[in-house]
Amino acid sequence: MAGIWIFAESLEQTKELLSIGSTLASKLGTMTSVFLQGNTGVADDYIACGADEVLVLTALAEDQPLDAYIPVIAAEAQTADPDIFLIAATVRGKDIAARLAARLKTGLCSECIGLKADENDRTIEMERFAYGGAAIQTVVCSTRPVMVTIIPRTFEAAARQSDRKGTIRELPAAPPSASTVLERKPKETEAKDISESRIVVCAGRGIEKKEDLSLVQELAAALGGEIGCTRPISEESHWLPEDLCIGISGISVKPALYIGLGVSGQVQHITGIRDAKVICAVNKDENAPIFGASDYGIVGDLYDVAPKLSDAVKNMKG
Amino acid sequence: MPDIIVCFKWVIDEAYIRTGSSGALDFRSVNYKLSDYDRNAIEAAVRLKEECGGTVTAVTVGTPGATKGLKDALSRGPDKACFVNDQSFDNLEPSQTAAILTDVIKGRLEYDLIICGEGSSDLYAQQVGPRLAEALGIPCVSFVQKLSIDGNRIIAERKVEEGINIMAAQLPALVTVVPDINNPRIPGVKDTLMASKKEVISVTADDLPATYEPALQTVSMTAASMERNCITFPADQAGIQAFVEALAKEGVLR
Ligand SMILES: Cc1cc2nc3c(=O)[nH]c(=O)nc-3n(C[C@H](O)[C@H](O)[C@H](O)COP(=O)(O)OP(=O)(O)OC[C@H]3O[C@@H](n4cnc5c(N)ncnc54)[C@H](O)[C@@H]3O)c2cc1C
Repeated sequence: MAGIWIFAESLEQTKELLSIGSTLASKLGTMTSVFLQGNTGVADDYIACGADEVLVLTALAEDQPLDAYIPVIAAEAQTADPDIFLIAATVRGKDIAARLAARLKTGLCSECIGLKADENDRTIEMERFAYGGAAIQTVVCSTRPVMVTIIPRTFEAAARQSDRKGTIRELPAAPPSASTVLERKPKETEAKDISESRIVVCAGRGIEKKEDLSLVQELAAALGGEIGCTRPISEESHWLPEDLCIGISGISVKPALYIGLGVSGQVQHITGIRDAKVICAVNKDENAPIFGASDYGIVGDLYDVAPKLSDAVKNMKG
Repeated sequence: MPDIIVCFKWVIDEAYIRTGSSGALDFRSVNYKLSDYDRNAIEAAVRLKEECGGTVTAVTVGTPGATKGLKDALSRGPDKACFVNDQSFDNLEPSQTAAILTDVIKGRLEYDLIICGEGSSDLYAQQVGPRLAEALGIPCVSFVQKLSIDGNRIIAERKVEEGINIMAAQLPALVTVVPDINNPRIPGVKDTLMASKKEVISVTADDLPATYEPALQTVSMTAASMERNCITFPADQAGIQAFVEALAKEGVLR
């Protein structure tokens, strides 16, 4: 037996992995199997989106964490011997992937951003960021299965096709887990999702006080955009929620326009704006690394420049 | 009173990596540092010890060149260190590091709790902690932002996409920590002096029962290039106007 296996936490993530999985499966002449947690209602949806087999995991007890599925999945992998195992790189997904890789004694490419298969020798070359985003590391895996975690929203989701058929199979229940969930607390402040915003103005540590974020907000409003921030603003000062932190340990954005105000441009941050169409910066230090990563910059004090810039933008837009 | 093992990695400081004219990475003038998240891991271990007593042992796997990292780690409060070193322990991939740590810990070190950083700041694979827990057969709670010991179990706040999961696991257990967990202390002169007096257990490849083959091979490591215009304007009225016109021309001011 063989195949491409897929495990994700949500419908959306699963469909994204299905688009990669189906491409790989047709290239390597094999089939795709998708894990489904509890709710069997979407099994047909998965099949329509490219799954040949849906493996249904029994719903967990209220206090069981998702990693309770590890023994069930590992046992299944030991008999089915998949070629490739794609897992969505969520917090729980990354943890489960590493632990499954340990059990299956195989390699794992974490947070893959691109992969290609060679039909002839069946190797999979996988790319990922290294050194805070300064480098791209390309890896191959010499053991089976090739395991990969993929950052959600890196690829397009698979579309439904009309004439697909697949099988649905139930897996045994998960054994009791070694750790338990005592409580699940939702986020206190649900921040806006800026990962798809068209314009993002980013607050960096050049902002001296929380009140001064209004400068960033005004420019964003003039441009019709949203605000984001660097890690010191969310994680050290706690002036903005973490969901707005852009970079390798935060979110990635791909706006038409990004403007950094008082952002130095360290590689960990720049990695998160790589896909922006136009990158701009206002920084008082002409040697700030961000100017090397920008299309247009203004060298100056943001406290002076930002208000003038907001006015100029309003005038231009009329 | 818990015996705590904290794992750390001595890594290339990415701020010193240059891109050569050919676009290749230039590592010639690099410096090394204690991996950022491992500073949080050490701090978490030392704070637990300050609260509950017990011991903290810092463990690293690397080449003999990582000696400086031991002093850095020990100056942050652990009682002793275990230095697993060999010329061949360079550019290890996570499955190798985890396997080596497993063999070292199994035979030699007592523990109730193992703490690792969520990932290393060089490769950030986020695998060693969870792999180590599996290999030792102990519970794993990764991406923890708050940690305490309650009798025979840990209570850990795990940071997940939609919020926080408060987790409990029996000791012995392993956790990986995120930077929110604490602000690592900055060692003073006295701490550095004390560090050089602390015990360091050295383990080499000859002392280990296996050879550790990689499952992942790195085919290439290239600069993540980004072609940008790099045009700057002065902060006067004319400069700001020219800047806005440039944006209009790009079609992003709609
Ligand atoms: C493992 C790891 C992961 C990380 N992940 C992330 C991440 O995901 N996202 C992230 O953002 N960071 C991340 N970082 C941190 C990152 O390395 C930088 O420290 C951070 O991005 C810097 O934020 P900053 O530019 O706001 O602040 P600083 O680097 O302090 O820069 C402030 C800038 O503002 C300028 N300035 C000051 N005053 C003014 C003024 N009045 N007018 C104009 N300019 C002014 C200064 O010249 C300076 O360039 C990570 C670091 C590590 C080690």
